[in-house]
Amino acid sequence: MEQNYDQQYNNVDDEEEITQEDAWTVISAYFEEYGLVRQQIDSFDQFIDNTMQETVDEFGHIEIRPESQHYPALQPDFAETIYKISFSQVYVGKPLMTEADGETRTLFPKAARLRNLTYSAPLYVDISKRAIKKGHDGEEVAETQDFAKVFIGKVPIMLHSKYCILFQSSEKDLTELEECPYDQGGYFIVSGSEKVLIAQERLSTNHVYVFKKTQPNKYAYVAEARSTAESQNRPPRTMFVSMLSGTSAKGGCSGQYIRATLPYIRAEIPIAIVFRALGFVADKHILQWICYDLADTQMMELLRPSLEEAFVIQNQQVALEYIGKRGATVGFTKEKRINYARNILQKEMLPHVGVEENCEAKKAYYFGYIIHRLLLCALGRRAEDDRDHYGNKRIDLAGPLFGGLFRMLFRKLTKNLRGHAQKCVNKGKDFNLQFAIKANIITNGFKYSLSTGNWGQANAAGTRTGVSQVLNRLTYASTLSHLRRLNSPIRREGKLAKPRQLHNSQWGMVCPAETPEGQACGLMKNLALMVYITVGSSADLILQLLQDFGIDEISSADISQATKIFVNGRWVGIHHRPDMLVSTLRGLRRQVDVNIEVGVVRDIRLKELRIYTDYGRCSRPLFIVKNQRLLIKKKDIQTLQQRETPDDGGWHHLDLVIARLNPDESYSDTYTHCEIHPSLILGVCASIIPFPDHNQSPRNTYQSAMGKQAMGIYATNFQFRMDTLAYVLYYPQKPLVTTRAMEHLHFRQLPAGINAIVAIACYSGYNQEDSVIMNQSSIDRGFFRSVLFRSYRDEEKKSGTLVKEDFGCPDRANTLGMSHGSYDKLDNDGLALPGTRVGGDDVIIGKTKPIAQDEAGGQSSRNTRCDLSTSLRHSETGVVDQVMLTTNAYGLRFVKVRVRSVRIPQIGDKFSSRHGQKGTVGMTYTQEDMPWTVEGITPDIIVNPHAIPSRMTIGQLIECIMGKVSAHMGKEGDATPFTDVTVDHISRALHKCGYQMRGFETMYNGHTGRRLPAMIFLGPTYYQRLKHMVDDKIHSRGRGPAQILSRQPTEGRSRAGGLRFGEMERDCMIAHGAASFLKERLFDQSDAYRVHVCEHCGLIAIANLGKKTFECRGCKNKLDVVQVHIPYACKLLFQELMSMAIAPRMLTKDV
Amino acid sequence: MPKVPLWDLPELPGNQLPLHLQLQKTRVSCNKDAPTNTENVTYSGAYAAMGVDNSLRLDEFRKNFKVKVIKLNEEDMEFDLIGIDASIANAFRRILISELPTMAIEKVLVANSSSVVQDEVLAHRLGLVPIKVDPRLFEYMSENDVPNEKNSIVFKLDVKCERKSGERRTVYSHDLEWLPSGSNYMLPTESSSDPSSKPKTYTSFTSSQDSLPEFSNNPITVTPGIIISKLAPGQEIELEAHAVKGIGKTHAKWSPVATAWYRMLPEVVLLQDIEDDDAQKLVNKCPVNVFDIEDMGKGVKRATVARPRACTLCRECIREPGWENKVALRRVKDHFIFTIESTGALPPEVLFTEAVKILEDKCESVITELS
Repeated sequence: MEQNYDQQYNNVDDEEEITQEDAWTVISAYFEEYGLVRQQIDSFDQFIDNTMQETVDEFGHIEIRPESQHYPALQPDFAETIYKISFSQVYVGKPLMTEADGETRTLFPKAARLRNLTYSAPLYVDISKRAIKKGHDGEEVAETQDFAKVFIGKVPIMLHSKYCILFQSSEKDLTELEECPYDQGGYFIVSGSEKVLIAQERLSTNHVYVFKKTQPNKYAYVAEARSTAESQNRPPRTMFVSMLSGTSAKGGCSGQYIRATLPYIRAEIPIAIVFRALGFVADKHILQWICYDLADTQMMELLRPSLEEAFVIQNQQVALEYIGKRGATVGFTKEKRINYARNILQKEMLPHVGVEENCEAKKAYYFGYIIHRLLLCALGRRAEDDRDHYGNKRIDLAGPLFGGLFRMLFRKLTKNLRGHAQKCVNKGKDFNLQFAIKANIITNGFKYSLSTGNWGQANAAGTRTGVSQVLNRLTYASTLSHLRRLNSPIRREGKLAKPRQLHNSQWGMVCPAETPEGQACGLMKNLALMVYITVGSSADLILQLLQDFGIDEISSADISQATKIFVNGRWVGIHHRPDMLVSTLRGLRRQVDVNIEVGVVRDIRLKELRIYTDYGRCSRPLFIVKNQRLLIKKKDIQTLQQRETPDDGGWHHLDLVIARLNPDESYSDTYTHCEIHPSLILGVCASIIPFPDHNQSPRNTYQSAMGKQAMGIYATNFQFRMDTLAYVLYYPQKPLVTTRAMEHLHFRQLPAGINAIVAIACYSGYNQEDSVIMNQSSIDRGFFRSVLFRSYRDEEKKSGTLVKEDFGCPDRANTLGMSHGSYDKLDNDGLALPGTRVGGDDVIIGKTKPIAQDEAGGQSSRNTRCDLSTSLRHSETGVVDQVMLTTNAYGLRFVKVRVRSVRIPQIGDKFSSRHGQKGTVGMTYTQEDMPWTVEGITPDIIVNPHAIPSRMTIGQLIECIMGKVSAHMGKEGDATPFTDVTVDHISRALHKCGYQMRGFETMYNGHTGRRLPAMIFLGPTYYQRLKHMVDDKIHSRGRGPAQILSRQPTEGRSRAGGLRFGEMERDCMIAHGAASFLKERLFDQSDAYRVHVCEHCGLIAIANLGKKTFECRGCKNKLDVVQVHIPYACKLLFQELMSMAIAPRMLTKDV
Repeated sequence: MPKVPLWDLPELPGNQLPLHLQLQKTRVSCNKDAPTNTENVTYSGAYAAMGVDNSLRLDEFRKNFKVKVIKLNEEDMEFDLIGIDASIANAFRRILISELPTMAIEKVLVANSSSVVQDEVLAHRLGLVPIKVDPRLFEYMSENDVPNEKNSIVFKLDVKCERKSGERRTVYSHDLEWLPSGSNYMLPTESSSDPSSKPKTYTSFTSSQDSLPEFSNNPITVTPGIIISKLAPGQEIELEAHAVKGIGKTHAKWSPVATAWYRMLPEVVLLQDIEDDDAQKLVNKCPVNVFDIEDMGKGVKRATVARPRACTLCRECIREPGWENKVALRRVKDHFIFTIESTGALPPEVLFTEAVKILEDKCESVITELS
């Protein structure tokens, strides 16, 4: 490939501009290098490579001192022994598993999936244990013991990540490992199920946001600063600085005071007091720190009330006490209160600026900056900040999520270790480190979070749910889309529309079409194709660089002239030549001297330069424009090294980067970047839609959701997989009409649909209201046939040491509780043979459990075993496809049986085009009943023309005529959005093929043989078969099972349940006066029951119908007993009430 | 058609339809938007007011009805049916597609299949393979019939991809081997009480089919070259396929034709002389070259309709405003260009005669039922 280009372009002029086609070369190179789930893999690698080690390093050491105990007998040699445990190097091994017999071997993903194992690698850490023994005479003996590579737990490994066995495997290797070569990885395997970590969106920290409050409100403006120090992974500390409304809520006038809310301090503190508490007492200083320019009288005027408010507090001590009093300091001395306040200011207020001592000056500057921003907004010089701006968003992927979890689990492990050690030390004994470390804490901690999706400690507050989900394997596209999903953990009920809306700054980052409908609309998003999410790097290098360039210390006098420089939200200094600084930084980045991830944002109006190195920023590649020409030239195409990631700080996008859509557009000198191709703003599912730019936008959203339900081939290794449910299409076809992005989504290799000949016509009326007519002869010939695989699993569980379940054919002679289904399909080993036809309720896995004789009790003692077999779902039939018998992690025998059944399209099955046009089959006609064209072509599908005008899916019509051209020319049609293909081009090409320009055909009626009095729009359109099929839904019941508790009919198709005659139906019958019918529905056909009631007390009496004796023990009444018919549920209620000492009496006589 | 006041209509000679009615009766006119006059006027007294008898007369039909074969080879056939109503032509078409019997594989007994293709898919693919045999030599097998030499054909497929070969093997339809003496597979016997009785196979042929005169030197084959499956080294397929007689209505595999259809003869009329530039324009407009240019001498070029039969009715020639008055696109209602594409069991001309016989039988049965 490369060579070709070389030859081709060797003698091209160096300065030749690139063409649209070259842009696609660049895009292909990008996807070849990065693939589609790079964000997940990079993020996870970052966790394994750095975060884990950092967490361990950060932890420090454990020190254990014996607590004084009373052991009269014990007289130790030393007065005291102190142990210090410290952790150093962390190691991660290859994924492996330990069999129940103790054998350890490498674990392959396939085995993990099939045997329900966890694909995880062992984690080791070097530990040194230092014992310091203090003698009675004060002398010290230190003894250090090093333990290399102590096993501390297993960490699940992301597939295709650096530590996965499949890392950089060739296609051949992958095939040999029975993996799908198109599988991208990016997920975990936990207990055999594939789990994805959904990226979590959050507001970026260390950023000042100013919001205007809607009046009436106590506050006019509020500035918010959520701050987390880079090194510590604590929840952000939020600080509010708010300006009160001139008029208070009660109507009185209070003046526009500015007050700050500090963490752990209950009341708001006037800003001047905060400054004084930080050690800046003079009014002038405070003004300088806030306004920078003392000539700015407008701003100073706004500060006047705030200064006057704090007039009474004129030194640091008083200010600190003022703050301390308002904290949790009940019963503290004054001294302690001051210390408390000092601590809060140092540790809790704006921790990202610094938590060491002596950063009061920096904090004061930052605090001043927050107020400055607040005032700018209050003065109307700047608009309020936008919470929904995508530059202000950060995305937590697998890496940070794992990082947080690992930190927590490691803490727990060390806490446990300390507890164990302390106990030993208290007894004056040494402790064994290997015993003290409970590796299960980390192993099970990861497993718990990944398998339940609850991120964080079990049942602790602040856990997020649904972070990990089972990877969707319905279609390849749905898998890809799932791996690129993005969730905003905002409460779903919130009716606030704004966070759900598509924001301008999401251009190119988030797919505008792919989002669910309903509650999660706009909150669940999907990444656009070319997005790259930064993994983060250390800011030290940048700080060093800035130091070398010579940035100045912050000094109040200079600020107003200079540009403020922020690194990751921390104000590090000021600079007088920001343009130079920006261009050098960008230059360094483009030469890859600085990490290409680093974001440089210059805000000219605010006089700020913000540099970002943090993780979770969205970025995307663009072409660089220099001197009004693209920097990338023809000659660069083969090298393809140019990669520029303008990202983040949104400003970048809005004010500085005005990316042009088309390189041929006139060049303005303010352009700095150029879009590579606008179709890349779409996500995975939307990229499959042909001509999405010709559709009404909700239709693209509908298709994005439906594409995930289409059947196709979800992985090339489906024969080797045992998914609980899988659909595979017999004869999938690649679409005739494609988009360029499909190439990278492998939609051609793993398609999900068929190019059907579709006519848009009214024909017989069986395609009304979104139904379609389908050609039965086509179906006979294999059109949209599919096969459904369903796997059943079971294992020989052990309870206690003796009782073990056994696979095997249960024997009616000695087994209790056998189901009514057939056990004939079972082989001697208790499993159905592959190739056996099985139907509803047939047993396919036979399993029994011995029952203890005493337990069996009075029941006939011939029963020695109890049946625990698994039978097929009663509404399904099929053929046993594959049976797998193996052992699981605990060495128990474990079986998976896969049943296959063929699904032939029939009336009621659901189909859809790629334009959100779904429909069910309303009728099937054989070939002779179908209309035909002059060429003898009969359509496969006839859809109703009424589906088109109101939905405006013009894309489908264009797809159809382009499909017709493609079929004739034998070429794929290009339906990429935002290209210059027009309907006229396609029409002309179609006409050249000898057809009517707009795709109309004259047709003959198949029933009558006469001409149809209308022209019919006909052509190949790509159709998808959706997973909803009537055979899986059909349900009716005459009589059937009842619930044990209430004796009412069961609910739901899977339990052969009844159809509920609900409240509304009941209302209708009452209104109708159909009392007898109502009684029949609600009583006779439901839970009719009869009880005997004592006429004296109205309570249920004892009746022995066999002996014809009736008695009410309470009333000593054996005569006056009546029989009443009541629902069983009613009887149940009465008995439950009785158990609560309430006597419901049924009085049968007039009182 | 220009509107003419009723009183300006010319006097009509008796027993003749006026021109526009004649046109409506015999032609479908294809206008810019949609075809009109697609219906047939069948009522005998439809034109009684004009003294025209519209009834269908057998002798008339006999005189006018013509069949012209345009193209005929082993598989396809194109012929003109002239002077017949659409309903009858359509009846032939429908019978051809769905009511002419053929033999097709209906039961597949899989002894062993280790290929990746599931048994159901394999069976479905085998079912669609056309069998080259005259179905008239066989009988239908009803539900309680035992498969015998009169109603079934048995094929064997036994292919293996040697592990040593190291290459994939493609299984073709011609790997199916005809078993003239019926199935080789034994029926599972329920009771072995009678050891003397011969073990039964899945078929009970009384004689071998190749002893029959029809097949003695004409073995039954299937259409070769159809891919059935692909085998990786070490995989094999061993099965028996039983073909029976059936019709396309039950399943498309029994349809003897890929498709059979007709179209009406196109008629392209130039309503006025189209000369010079317009003529050239017209010729260029047509993607299938219906029009030609005739040199009228003196540099005058006139468009002519050279190949009306090729017209696909794309209507490009009348799309632009004004052209509808220059060119008329019509279809002759009683002239059908009929095409039959056979799947190979029977040659197309035989298929058509068979179809005629079936229609005859149907008429016969209607008559007997009525009388």
